[in-house]
Amino acid sequence: MSLLRIENLSKEYQMGDNVLRALDGVNLGIERGDYVAITGTSGSGKSTMLNILGCLDRPSSGRYILNQKDVSQMDPDELAEIRNREIGFIFQSFNLLPRASALDNVVQPLIYQHLPRQERLRRATEALQHVGLGARLDHLPNQLSGGQRQRVAIARALVTKPSILLADEPTGNLDSRTTIEIMRLFDDLHAEHQTIIIVTHEAEIARHCHRIVRLEDGRVAEDRRNRELA
Amino acid sequence: MLLFDILESLRSALRSIRAHGFRSFLTTLGIIIGVAAVIATVSIIQGLQFSINEQFQGLGTNSIIVQSFNTFERRLQGIVARISPSDFDLLSRVEGIATISPIIGGGGSQLRYGSQVYATQITGSTYSYQDVAQVYMKYGRFLSDADDITRRRVVVIGETVRENLNLPENPVDEYVRVGDEWMKVIGLAEEKGQLFGQNQDNFAIIPYSTMRSIAGNQNELDMAIQLTLGNLDQMEAVQDQVTALLRNAHDIEPGEDDDFQVRSSEQLTDTFNNILGSVTFVMGGIVGISLLVGGIGIMNIMLVSVTERTKEIGICKAIGAKRHQILLQFLFESLLLCLLGGLIGLTIGYGIGLAASAAIPDFPRAVVPLWAVLLSFLFSAMVGLVFGIMPAAKAANLDPIDALRYE
Repeated sequence: MSLLRIENLSKEYQMGDNVLRALDGVNLGIERGDYVAITGTSGSGKSTMLNILGCLDRPSSGRYILNQKDVSQMDPDELAEIRNREIGFIFQSFNLLPRASALDNVVQPLIYQHLPRQERLRRATEALQHVGLGARLDHLPNQLSGGQRQRVAIARALVTKPSILLADEPTGNLDSRTTIEIMRLFDDLHAEHQTIIIVTHEAEIARHCHRIVRLEDGRVAEDRRNRELA
Repeated sequence: MLLFDILESLRSALRSIRAHGFRSFLTTLGIIIGVAAVIATVSIIQGLQFSINEQFQGLGTNSIIVQSFNTFERRLQGIVARISPSDFDLLSRVEGIATISPIIGGGGSQLRYGSQVYATQITGSTYSYQDVAQVYMKYGRFLSDADDITRRRVVVIGETVRENLNLPENPVDEYVRVGDEWMKVIGLAEEKGQLFGQNQDNFAIIPYSTMRSIAGNQNELDMAIQLTLGNLDQMEAVQDQVTALLRNAHDIEPGEDDDFQVRSSEQLTDTFNNILGSVTFVMGGIVGISLLVGGIGIMNIMLVSVTERTKEIGICKAIGAKRHQILLQFLFESLLLCLLGGLIGLTIGYGIGLAASAAIPDFPRAVVPLWAVLLSFLFSAMVGLVFGIMPAAKAANLDPIDALRYE
């Protein structure tokens, strides 16, 4: 049983009089523990794919089965619940809450799970220690470097123990040295059997993944094992 | 679960208010001013009402006061209405009255003691006036019925009069000259202090008959008459009787207005309370408007705040916030802002009330009734909810993708 399965999925946008077909009958299955890169040039449907995989958006047609649940027709609050429990987001621009400390940022998704305060703090602290930020719990985002901010974001994504870690150009705002550190962190997480999907246009990043899915004009143009790693 | 969300929303609302301290303060200024105004007004008016009611309590509920009354037109014609001693004799025969006391405010007159001269208000009345004016004796006694019947030359004085005449501490049995008559001081009243800037110890009271006998022209007298009833049920009947008798005595044609007023003490209190009530009401209207303006200010800032935090809302939604959780967070923010404003306004308003009543000499102490406190909190909370719901709904209904993309 696949962790997630996409069947004949399409997404259309109305642009004035024209219908823009961002995704056009995509089929894709991802197994537990997979380490997948979704690549493609801009306009290939990457972002739309990311939004639908992340349950931020609903497909126009087709089915999206995540963890045996059909999420393609859920209402916004049900999707919020799925995002909270099943998906850990990592964004290019980190997207941390600016006025909250590193710890409070990581605690935030647990609040939506109605966990008691002590339990939240314990789990958030653990997650931050796991990404190597155990000493910076009380720092505000603007007191942290780019790499550290992305680590906080990764800790926030991991703290709910999600089925999928979904990263959108996670190293796009980082220098090359920090990029290597962050990718090494992803590699480590994969080694711990975390399912990871990275949406990127950089071949350098995709190379870390075990499977590379290339989109072109809203269709899967290529879906291959990463031979370099094999 | 909802309770959990409410507590968490409160926490994050507090954090956000603290993060924008100065802005939050400016936002709530409208509410602060509104509530401060209502509390200051109410506290002063309630203080007034409290003391007026206390003043009138002495009159008892079963008393009637009859006074002359001149309409504006009549005054222009030079006609001056009077309640005369013959009216008093007439009313003495009304059925159902227990006591009747004449009150002659005989204008100012000079009092002399030794080389001291002092002018004060002389009142002519009888024994029962003691209850009307609530004059209690420190030394000596009040007027008796016998004083009145035998037209004794006796006088009861207030503390201010004693002081100004240099009378001894206990002035009883001293003689003072009232106008052209020597009179014996039979009583000194307890000190009362001041009310609304009026000295309440500056008076001299002599028997009604004595007053009449020494007044030059009896027909010129204008007096007030106080009646008390044996039975409260007869209030209306007695008022009707008095009115009919006086209209007849004053030759008032049917259709013409009375040239006198017959009022029960309850009506008097009611009149005062009505005036104060309408002042409160008008102030309430003004305050309502200022709270409305304050509320719009809050809505405005909340809308700005939602736009400003669009990205944050997007982040929260991406990591799993449901619509009601976002809604509660913003709703509680505006609710808390308003309640804080209400609390500050309450403190300031009470402070103003206290300061105002302290600054005006002998003004009664400001009193803030519990209903005013509850009402202003309730109103603040309502403003917060009513004007917070729209921005909060806007935040809750943001599309997560658009919100995340917002810069």
